[in-house]
Amino acid sequence: MNIHINTPEGTRDRLFSECLERRQVQSALVELFRRRGYTEVITPEVEFYDLFVQSGNPIPQEAMLKIIDRSGKIMVMRPDCTAPIARVAATKLKTLAFPQRLYYDQTVFRSGQANQGGSSEIAQCGVEMIGAVGEKADLEMVAMAVDSLRCCGLRQFHIELGHAGFYRVLAGRMKMSLDELERLREAIEGKNFALLNDLLEPYRGEDAYAALRRLPYLFGGMEVLDEAQALAGACDSLDHLRRLYGELSSAGYGDCVRFDLGLVHQLDYYTGMVFRGYAEGAGAPVLSGGRYDGLMEQFGRKAEATGFAVDVDAVGACLTIKTPSLETVIHYGPGMLSQALAVVDSRPAGSCELSPCRTLDSTMNLAREKGAVRVLLLDSEGERWLTV
Amino acid sequence: MSERLRIALTKGRLQDKSLELFESMGLDCSPVRNPGRRLIHAIPNYPLDAVLAKASDVITYVEHGACDLGVVGKDTILEKGGAFYEVLDLDFGCCRFALAVKKGSDFYGTYKTRRIASKYPNVTRAFFEGKGMDVDIIKIEGSVELAPILDLADGIVDIVETGATLKENGLEPIEDVAQVSARLIVNTASMKLYKSEITDFLFRVERKLGEQA
Repeated sequence: MNIHINTPEGTRDRLFSECLERRQVQSALVELFRRRGYTEVITPEVEFYDLFVQSGNPIPQEAMLKIIDRSGKIMVMRPDCTAPIARVAATKLKTLAFPQRLYYDQTVFRSGQANQGGSSEIAQCGVEMIGAVGEKADLEMVAMAVDSLRCCGLRQFHIELGHAGFYRVLAGRMKMSLDELERLREAIEGKNFALLNDLLEPYRGEDAYAALRRLPYLFGGMEVLDEAQALAGACDSLDHLRRLYGELSSAGYGDCVRFDLGLVHQLDYYTGMVFRGYAEGAGAPVLSGGRYDGLMEQFGRKAEATGFAVDVDAVGACLTIKTPSLETVIHYGPGMLSQALAVVDSRPAGSCELSPCRTLDSTMNLAREKGAVRVLLLDSEGERWLTV
Repeated sequence: MSERLRIALTKGRLQDKSLELFESMGLDCSPVRNPGRRLIHAIPNYPLDAVLAKASDVITYVEHGACDLGVVGKDTILEKGGAFYEVLDLDFGCCRFALAVKKGSDFYGTYKTRRIASKYPNVTRAFFEGKGMDVDIIKIEGSVELAPILDLADGIVDIVETGATLKENGLEPIEDVAQVSARLIVNTASMKLYKSEITDFLFRVERKLGEQA
């Protein structure tokens, strides 16, 4: 029989330091989530395909890994954690008082294009707050997003805030067809200034023209909100962001928070603030979230919801983690097991291990092969240190 | 602290035009023009390092954040797609995608499923999907003009500059598919992390383009 030594495209074996990175990020996040009152939910790896279509979160059909079960129903490897958790919250947690604070630490599966270097298995840690609306709920979420990246050990990072409502207001003022509006949104999301200018040219006289034209440039600090207000007039979404920023600043989060009013992705899904986290060393956002008040209703229960997910491995790759190296090998004689284990347990993990060899000579050889610095000999005559 | 930005330039014709543009902005591009054995070329009088790559690799480097910026043709962007910001139309390397058929043949006047040969299957698919037409697409790597001549295909979708090659081979363009020119693209995270450096560069390019227009 042929043994496959390669793993399928998009999957990988993670060895040693890659595991340490992932586990360190996961445990830091989970500890933070629990401290803030969030409790864990684990949902199945496999769900019905319909669930994700129903949720309104536009994961492209071709990005989902599909399985057909015995009855012929289409199932998918979970491509996202939010929809399953909304399903749980709307059904099984119906009697649990609001706000419900839930967290998850699980893998999502998305098949990317071949040979693009992306992984189909994405480890995510994230939170959902269900049944809370308004400024303080948003505030808690953004502060938690900042704390999440900080507690993982990132130094250079920031969270960028936008608001789905701002673009909606502007788009609502334009007399454009739905197709044109979608192309406009794509041009803004892709910061495609040339295309945006072409699309807007026929609408030069319109009220929202100037603001839409500037929208892709409207990212940066507080000055962005002022400029947006000057262009578009006062509106609720800008006021909301301004108040959030005021509170965040006075809580010491100001340095880590910026704005991008051109965050106009998945507009059918997000209903309020949206945000993304960027870290130095990562070529794509490492955190993504927002408010999606329409989601729960898709599963039969009206409730507001907000949350975010952290791409665990993307954060891990920005950290420098040292794998421990073996220093000491212990050769122990009859009746000395408990003393030997006591020494191993008192050392930093991975720096000390027992020798399974019968003779001291073999133990010395083993220590040399493994690159250890010294051997500790434990027998009835006491303990002796030998240099390898 | 000012970060050095890294830009990927598409080798060949776009490379020359890009360097001309940068030099007209006052950047000293001599390290790129006399590369020696080096692969990364530091611009001495501006915080920018340049690398040269094949068109579709430019997109790959920028998408993964290995390079912050890239100069690449719209043809490659349309065919390959990807997640990045397409911030400026550089107005050089202009040409178009066109649908071309054998001179005198009636491409639309039949109910048979048409067969199209192209180096750009995705562009072709999107074009005919937009028309609500089902077509068979055949990917050809070399001279696409050969396919209709040998009756392998009813038409081709390809880059057309002057139309001379088509004419010589008895083909004629019957419809424009898309306009093509060089674009400046930016990695999404770099745009946010190095905002001041990138906007400074964009501003200089834009000002130069404005002067030329």
